Amino acid sequence: MSSEHQAHPTPGQYWKIAAFLAAVTALEVAMFYIDRQLGLGFLNAAILILLSAIKFLVVVGWFMHVRYEKPMISRFFTAGFVLACGLYLVVLSALGVVAIRGG
Amino acid sequence: MSDVAASPAGAEDVADAMASAHDVDLGHHEEHESTGIENRKLGMWVFLSSEFLFFGALITNYLLYSNRGGFEGTYPAAIYDIPFTSVSSFVLLMSSLTMVLAHNALSRNDQHGARTWLFATAALGSVFLGGQVFEFTEFIVEYDMTLSTNPAASAFYVLTGFHGTHVAIGIIMLLSLWGISRRQNGLSEKQGLNLELVGLYWHFVDIIWIVIFTVVYLLSIPPT
Repeated sequence: MSSEHQAHPTPGQYWKIAAFLAAVTALEVAMFYIDRQLGLGFLNAAILILLSAIKFLVVVGWFMHVRYEKPMISRFFTAGFVLACGLYLVVLSALGVVAIRGG
Repeated sequence: MSDVAASPAGAEDVADAMASAHDVDLGHHEEHESTGIENRKLGMWVFLSSEFLFFGALITNYLLYSNRGGFEGTYPAAIYDIPFTSVSSFVLLMSSLTMVLAHNALSRNDQHGARTWLFATAALGSVFLGGQVFEFTEFIVEYDMTLSTNPAASAFYVLTGFHGTHVAIGIIMLLSLWGISRRQNGLSEKQGLNLELVGLYWHFVDIIWIVIFTVVYLLSIPPT
């Protein structure tokens, strides 16, 4: 509350953001069933990960207010996320899980 | 000291100066430190950042064992109820909306609104948690898949169970704030920071579920 750099969204804008998130979730579920019918394989995985990343970034940016906070906070958060992703991607690659799931 | 003692006016000046210095000192240490960010808030961000490693380990563990064949018993990927979990995910996502509306209401000093949205967030969190209890019960009773059935089942229960535990802790914190607000007829500025911190924690629990929903449920692969 004390470190805002620009005006936060209004309640109406928060509702619109939530509607967008709900729509993306519906799209994700639709992709799951489309893949069952068409067997999209890697393309399905890529689209689902992209949609998930969009939801993740919207919640972090707008609901957690990272885009309105001091840069130090986003650096801390990004550092933890990148470290975790990098570490576990190396582990999964070393054990062959990424290759299996990538098709 | 003797000069001060001899002059009541001088003693008052010294006392005022000491009090001012004390206030400035407290303000410097308690509120901002050198980062310009409240210490508790910075601490929460560092904690959440470290939680990525915690949940990352559990998700990695699940991915390692989820489709590894050669074990007896039911695998989680074979029995997921995607429509049910989709509704649960939607409920948790909407709880992030009510949380941010609570924060927004408090920033406008709308205490009643903040209290209402806090309770709505706790209620939606409870619905999500109830859904998880239902899912676990169904898996155990209908499909006989327990924690020790096979490594995939263990990894699934540990991952989603720890996430559920985080949700339960969040609900307790939300209801505590709601109770305090009801008793005091509003939250003070300092307690407002508590609401912001609980909000950060709640949104974090939500983004972890965004990842779990996609990686564990939607990208599930049957055992080989």
